[in-house]
Parts: sequence; structure tokens; C-alpha cells
Amino acid sequence: MIPFLASHTPGITEWLILTAVLFAVGLCGLLTRRNAVGILMAAELMLNASAMSFVVFNRFRSPGEVDGQVMAIFVIAVAAAEVVVGMAIFVAMFRYRATIDVTQMNYLRK
Amino acid sequence: MIVQATHTVLFYLIAALALVMALSVVFSRKLLRAAIALMGVLALTAGLYILLGAEFLAGVQVLVYVGGIVVLIVFAIMLTRSSDLLEDQPTLPRALLGAFVGLVFLVMSSAVFFSSPFQADTSGAQVTDDTVAIGRSLLDYGPKGYVLPFEIISLLLLAAAIGGIVIARKIPAPSQPFTSGGDLPGEADFTQPRSQREEA
Repeated sequence: MIPFLASHTPGITEWLILTAVLFAVGLCGLLTRRNAVGILMAAELMLNASAMSFVVFNRFRSPGEVDGQVMAIFVIAVAAAEVVVGMAIFVAMFRYRATIDVTQMNYLRK
Repeated sequence: MIVQATHTVLFYLIAALALVMALSVVFSRKLLRAAIALMGVLALTAGLYILLGAEFLAGVQVLVYVGGIVVLIVFAIMLTRSSDLLEDQPTLPRALLGAFVGLVFLVMSSAVFFSSPFQADTSGAQVTDDTVAIGRSLLDYGPKGYVLPFEIISLLLLAAAIGGIVIARKIPAPSQPFTSGGDLPGEADFTQPRSQREEA
């Protein structure tokens, strides 16, 4: 059992499949959610998965460097900025319209 | 040998848990529950970073994502009263479209991952998890440094914070959309739908 497990440590393909699965789940949520905060959460899921793929490539392609980790830090910073602006817009939108259902946001068509 | 076996077990365990929680983020009908599941996914991702040998990044992930972003999202849910409402089920075409796009993305990227011969690093270099190296790389202005993106991202964060305050503040600002409806006297009651509101 233990030799079998020890000889099957996850390689780069397994790690990348994991990030792709997480990204696909986030993509699905982005397209199906109706509440704007739910869409924001799905987008966070996708950002998280892509940051992880940077670290995976860093680990398996050039373990002596830190470039992938630096990129992941940038992704985390951008996610923080995005969620701040998103929350402000949702609060203002809720105050103006009393809903943040994205299917109701069609001001420009009226 | 026991270390590699533990590595394998931990990877598949954390990956399965993260997948279950991600599905719960996307499909849970209660948004507050989805936010807690999102916190679980992000914390498990920090565990995966430790498995990858990036301990500093795991710390950053817990501090910024779990401690900051999830709290902001919970605030957003509560300020917009989304926790009182059950999320409507998506209409059938919308659900089908989402599942279709997600599956197509997954199949295409998996095909690429399985067909590309990733050339593993053969130099035998050890994984650097040097916080000093990350800091030097962020502030290095040489050809491999990241000082320009670092400065740009700090300005971006500042601009986003100020922009968030301006957009979400209650005091009405003339000639700005979405910022009126404050708590000054004479303001319209914006909790009413627009058609039932009397013009101030």
C-alpha cells in the first residue's frame, strides 16, 4: 500500500487537472448564478484556480525560481481590489434598486 | 517513502474536499452558506500551496483571502440582504449553458494537459521557498525584477479602495450615478421600487 502510494505522487498533469476542474466549476457558477454576489464568488474561485496553476508551473518547471509565486501574489492583490469595487457597486446598486439580481439590471434598455 | 505516500494521500484528500466545497459555492441556494464554502476552498488551497512547497504564499493566502476577501463578501451579502432571499434556481437554458461551457473548458484543457510533453526541470534544483528571494524579486529593478508591476498594483489597490468608498458612500454626490439616495432630508426612499416612489 505504502509503496504504491509513494510511487504515485501527483505530477504536473494531476495538479493542472485539479486547477482546471476548479476553474471549470467557477465558470459554470459565473454563468448560472443570478445574484451578483454569487457571481463575484464564482469569479474568486476562478482567480484562485489560476493563481494555483502559476504556483504549479513554478514548482514543476523551474523550482529554483520564485516567479510563479510572485505572479500568484499579484493575482491575490488584483482579486482583493476587484472584490472591494464589486462590493461597493453592489451596495450602491442595492440602495438604488433594492435588488442585485443581474437579470433585472437593464437600465440602458428602458 | 512514507513522506511521498503522505504527500499523495494529502493531495487527493485536499483536492476532493476542495472540489466538493467548490461545487457547494456554485450550487448552494443560500448565499451565506456559499460564502463559508468559499472560505473552505481558499483555506484548502493554502494547504495545497504548502504541499507545493510555497509556505509564504500559503500565509498570504490565509491572511488576504480567508481573512480579508471572504469577510468583505460576507459584508456584501449582509448589506444587500441577500441572505434573506433564497437564490432563484437558474432557468433551464441558463443551467445547461453553464454546464456545457464548463465541461467544454474542462475537456479542452485536459486534452492539452495530457497531450503536451511537459519537460520537467532536470537540473535537480531544490524548491526555493525563500521569503527573502520573493521580496528581492518584487523590489528588483533589473531585467528579472518585478518592481514596476509591484508599484502599479499598489496604486491599483489604493485607487480601488478610494473608489469603493466614493461609490458606496451614503452622502449624495451631485452628478454621480448610483450615489444619491442618502440619509439627508428630502431624499427619496430608495428602498421602494422606482414606480411607487414619489419624486422628491
